[in-house]
This record gives sequence, structure tokens and C-alpha cells, in this order.
Amino acid sequence: MTAKKGISLALLVAGVAALWLVPSMGVSDSLLNLLILMFIYTMLASSWNILGGYTGQVNLGHAAFFGLGTLVARILYTGGRPLFLALLAACVVPVAFSMLIGIPAFRLRLRGDYFTIGTLALSQILYITIGNVLPKITYLPIADIQNYQLGPRYHIILASALFTIGVAYALVKSRLGLGMVAVRENEDAAESLGINAFAHKLLALAVSAFLGGLTGGAYAYYQTSYYFNYTFSPPWSLEPVTMTFIGGVGTIHGPVIGAVFFVLLKEWLVMKVGEYHLIIFGVLFLLVVLFLPGGLVEAWERIRRVFTHRPAGKIVLSPSAEGSDLSGNSLASERKEVPMI
Amino acid sequence: MDFLAVEGLTKFFGGLAAVYKVGFTIREGEIIGLIGPNGSGKTTVLNLITGFLKPNAGRVTLAGRNVTGLPPHQMCRNGVARTFQLTKSFLCCTVLQNVMIARMYGRSPAPNLRVAAKEATEILVQVGLADKANFLARDLTLMERKMLELARALAAQPSLLLLDELMAGLNPAETEVTMQLIRKIRDSGVTILVVEHIVKAILGLSDRVIVLNMGQKIAEGPPQEIVHDPHVIEVYLGKAHHA
Repeated sequence: MTAKKGISLALLVAGVAALWLVPSMGVSDSLLNLLILMFIYTMLASSWNILGGYTGQVNLGHAAFFGLGTLVARILYTGGRPLFLALLAACVVPVAFSMLIGIPAFRLRLRGDYFTIGTLALSQILYITIGNVLPKITYLPIADIQNYQLGPRYHIILASALFTIGVAYALVKSRLGLGMVAVRENEDAAESLGINAFAHKLLALAVSAFLGGLTGGAYAYYQTSYYFNYTFSPPWSLEPVTMTFIGGVGTIHGPVIGAVFFVLLKEWLVMKVGEYHLIIFGVLFLLVVLFLPGGLVEAWERIRRVFTHRPAGKIVLSPSAEGSDLSGNSLASERKEVPMI
Repeated sequence: MDFLAVEGLTKFFGGLAAVYKVGFTIREGEIIGLIGPNGSGKTTVLNLITGFLKPNAGRVTLAGRNVTGLPPHQMCRNGVARTFQLTKSFLCCTVLQNVMIARMYGRSPAPNLRVAAKEATEILVQVGLADKANFLARDLTLMERKMLELARALAAQPSLLLLDELMAGLNPAETEVTMQLIRKIRDSGVTILVVEHIVKAILGLSDRVIVLNMGQKIAEGPPQEIVHDPHVIEVYLGKAHHA
């Protein structure tokens, strides 16, 4: 088990190192742009997954966090503030905003649908308000165009994506992650076992908003030319949901796989069929939810099981595969010490 | 000293008094049976004690401390754990994870996941689910889910355990095993309140029995006395009509 763990870790490090070195390999800008999009969409899906996948609170207004992140980062950065400060503010402002919906919805124990509708409404309000208040202009000073370099942006966005995945991983592997899953699975039972459901939901929301804001900050740093309200538009709310479900909801690698798959397929479909790609993604989303609720992660597990001839009853992974994130390898080694009677 | 004291507990659902001025006490180390016909308010009393419902009037005192109306998670941290009549397992988690979660929270949480996994495994052995540890909770039978409820509640390390119809739906052999398990748990130092409407099971288990009918306490005492109480017989069997 440890050897296998070591190999996976080595592969991971090698993969990250390779990604880091891509810009110095003299590749085309279009490949870099494609990778950057994958990083940003990975962040978008991973940040949504913490609240929607692990804690079971479906947020249909993730664009609000993402959009606020872009707005704050853009204003600060183009206003001459240091990048680090701009990104930090891009994370903090959405957290404050998320409490507007989170505290009332979770405090009043408005379950599921109410929170979902509330997030959708708030993100739409922001979308319309920003569209009315801020001018429909794109901002691109000459100096910025002259100085624009893809390389440093690539590295900062890659680092942000790694940070996002790392935070998500650390959170769901922790005690709080267990509590979040318990709240998702059964709130009453969780409460009866000493888990403060309100606090766990609020924490998941805050982390989701923080990382969603960081995604926005990264996007604003990368893409300097877009309308102010564009990043608040509904696709930024719906795409993280689609990607997470396609990849595997409630897992760490699901959103990453979903995002890579989504970006590649979208690029290809947009070239082939243009706007019709929306219909294709809609249908794909439905099919996944209906027939493959664990997404690509589940599909992979099923295939692997066929080839390794593992009996279905003994799996540690659940169909939505959160088992892998909960039990970890420590459990498997613990199993040897089970005092059997 | 009274470990748990309930005084004048009252809960209205609309105009209906689901529980009306119910009072009783439990001493440390006792097994108390709470019985009554369907709809007599047993589960509501349990929900009032554990904080899932807030009483309209009355007081709940735990080890001398007023705990009336505290939310469920705080009641659990104060040492009150419960099972649910309709099992509420974490269905997408494995049996072991279910118990581990409880072990990481509850009254005295395990310091880390390793310890939690080890202790959760021990609890699963105790309730006879050790060989199902890596099964998903959704794949368990009714009996197994009930035992998982119990395992999870035990993992919260309660000083007071409330069992809501744990034995309902079990066959006689399973009931017998469960009764012995409950006695063992009591002997390990846990005070227990058993809610059942199977009179037989509760009579063999309890030190004292409290009888509810239509939200009110109608009798309290040792099991032998309760079965001969004319009031209780009337509630369960109906009134005798004399010609």
C-alpha cells in the first residue's frame, strides 16, 4: 500500500513539475491558453464542489463569488495595487458576500431548495446590477497590452489551481470534512452526533466562496478585456455544476477530470457546431446525472473492477467515490488490526 | 442524585398537546422504559430531551445543569446520544466511516482519524458488525442498520443513551441479542432510556417503566407493577364493559 502511495505521489509531483515547465518548452501560446483555461475551470469546479459536492448544499449562483473575485481583482490591479493584494481581496470580498445568503438560509434551516434558489437569485441580482451600474466597456490600456506576458500569468494561475486543490484536499481529509459529509448525508443524524450542521455548512460556503473568488482573481489577471458584468453571467454558475457532475461529484479528482474533459470538449464542439454546444452539454449533464451519478470517476472504477475481478460488495469506494476521500489509506492499514471474533 | 430530570415538559403541535406536563427522573446507571400506544408522545419526549424540538414549557436538567432547549449537537456534547426510530445512516459512507464520524465528534472526540478508525472498529465488534465494516450503509439489512444506529450513538461516548424503538421490526432472536447488548452497555456505565411499544421487550429490560398515553404520563414504576396497573391495562386493552 505504501509503495503504491509512493508511486502515486511521485507521479503527481512529476506531473506538476512537467506542467510548471511547459512555458519554457517553447510551446505555442494557444496551448498555454488552453492549459490556463483548464486551470481556471478546475478551480471553478473544485471550489463549487466543496459546498455542493461534499456538504450537499447546491449553489446555483457560484458566478456571484467568481464575478466578485474578478471585479475586485481587476479594479485593484488595474488601479496599480500589487497583484498579491488584489488576489487576496478577490478572495475575501466573496466570503463576506456569501454570508449574506448563508447565514439566513442556514440559520433558519431553510433546506436544500431555498438555499439553491437564493443563490441563483443573488447571482442574478449582481449580474443585472453590475451590468447597469458599471459601464459596458472593456479595459485595456496600451501599457498593459505592451507588457502582457503569458508565461508569468500561466505560473500564477497554475499555482492558484494547485492551492485550490490543496485546500480542498486538506479540508475534506480533515475532521471537518467528515462532518461536512455527515451533514450532506443526514443532517439530523449529524446533529445527534455532536456535529454543528450550521457551522459546517457556513464553513463550507466560506471556503467555497474564498476559492471561487480566487478563481475570479486569476481570471481577471489573465483576461484583461471583458465587460464588467460578463463574469457574473449564468454560465459561470452552471458550468462548475456540469463539470463537477461529469467528473465525479464529492471527490477531489472529479472536478479536475471534469474540467479538463469539459474544456477540451467545449473547444472542439465550439469549432464544430458553435453555439449548439450548449445543447450537447445540457444533454450530457442529464445523462450523467441519470445513468452515471458518480461521473467519470465512477465509470473508471467500474471499468477497473471488471478487469481486477473485484466483488462488488467489498468496495471501499462508494458509487460517488467519496469513500476514497474519507477513508484514506490509514483505514486500509487499520483493517489488519481488526480483532475478529 | 437524579441524572436526568424532566419537569412539566409540554409541547403543542398547533392545538394538539403532543406532550403535556410530563415529568420523570432517571438515576445514573438505570434502564428506564418509556412505553405507550402509537401517538402517545414517546418520540416527541425524546425529541424534546435531545433538542430536536423546543418545548413550549417545562425543564430538562442533566446532571444538575439546565439544558432545556439546547440544540441537538450541544446535547450530544453534553453526553446525550440517541438512535432514530427510522434509521438515519450516512448511506453513501461505509459502515466504518459512519461510526468514525461519530467518533470524531460526540462527547469526547478521538484525537485523529487513525484512533477513530481503531475505536470505531472495536465498537463494530461489540455490536456484531465488524465483518460489514467496509460495506456501504445503504447495503445493510434493517437489523444491521439498527445496529449501526446503536454503534454510532455509542461512538459519541454518551453518558445517557436514548434508544427510539431500536427493537421494532426485529425478530424474537434478534430482539433477545439486542436486549443483552443493551444490558451490557448499561453495565459499562451508560444510563439508558428505552422507547418501545413492544411491551414485552421493555418489561424484561427496564428497572422502571414510564407509561404515556395521549401525551400524558399515566403510570410509573417497576415493570411487575406496571403490567398490573388497571390504568395501563385499560390503555392497552380497552375498558372492560360491565353489563
